[in-house]
Amino acid sequence: MKNLRNIFKIIIIFILPICAESLYENLDSEELKRLNYLSDNIRCPKCSYGNISSSNAPISKDLKEEIAQLINDGYSDDEIFNLMEERYGEYVILKTDIDDNKTLFLVPLMVLIISILLVTTYTIKKTK
Amino acid sequence: MATRIFLVLIMAILVLMIATFSLSLVEKEEIALIENQEGKSLNIVDDLYDIEGNQIPLESLLEGKVLLNVWASWCITCLVEHPFLKSITQSKDVKLIGINYKDQSFNAEKYLLENGDPYIFSIYDLSGEFSLKLGVTGAPETFLLIDGVIVSHRIGEVNMEIWNEKFAQYF
Repeated sequence: MKNLRNIFKIIIIFILPICAESLYENLDSEELKRLNYLSDNIRCPKCSYGNISSSNAPISKDLKEEIAQLINDGYSDDEIFNLMEERYGEYVILKTDIDDNKTLFLVPLMVLIISILLVTTYTIKKTK
Repeated sequence: MATRIFLVLIMAILVLMIATFSLSLVEKEEIALIENQEGKSLNIVDDLYDIEGNQIPLESLLEGKVLLNVWASWCITCLVEHPFLKSITQSKDVKLIGINYKDQSFNAEKYLLENGDPYIFSIYDLSGEFSLKLGVTGAPETFLLIDGVIVSHRIGEVNMEIWNEKFAQYF
């Protein structure tokens, strides 16, 4: 039992440096959540698809660090999105704005409503 | 009657869907690319140093035509475009300045010794912060600055074709 505990301790000591790399020391849990949200919604400029939190490209790591720094400096989410958009273009923002493309969001909704109407009227007529 | 209209409607939608789908197969639209940095101006916040550790005078970047090339010893495509960069500095009056991107200085020096050094000097950017602010996404990349404004930006390798398309008009 004691042996097992010692082995466990050794494993933890070896794992520590791995964990340390992914830490953003200056951020509290709320800010870390924002960092995760932002890096989930900003595309890696080097990759053909994928956000910066899922990418291993050096630039994604740099960008994540820069965003952490910006959060630390008191920038809001929108300001950070704008900053990234200004540097890399709209392409880099994965969070789509409904106002930018209303038809894309409204057409499926309209199709759904029309089809519901058609089916209900059809079935009502048939039962009569 | 209603059934017939309904069927016709469904058929029409189906035909429309198939048509748009088959059209999308024929039309090979170019994939949306990352926006390049053309038209933006260079603003430098921190002091810059070259590979040997000498401080770089900012005027050398902000005055006249400057070709900035991002390179690294670990970057294979940089090695591919290296002979072209050498030939272009020999044949034309080009002020070529390198950005050594995320590289160890001894590796960078070794790379230049082995492959020749076409650069007037190279900005040493170990952390990649200067490049990040510039809008670099990776190596190799090439910028043409005229009086501190980016007029041309190539993401990727520069060869004769790209040179003629993007840079030759300025020289």
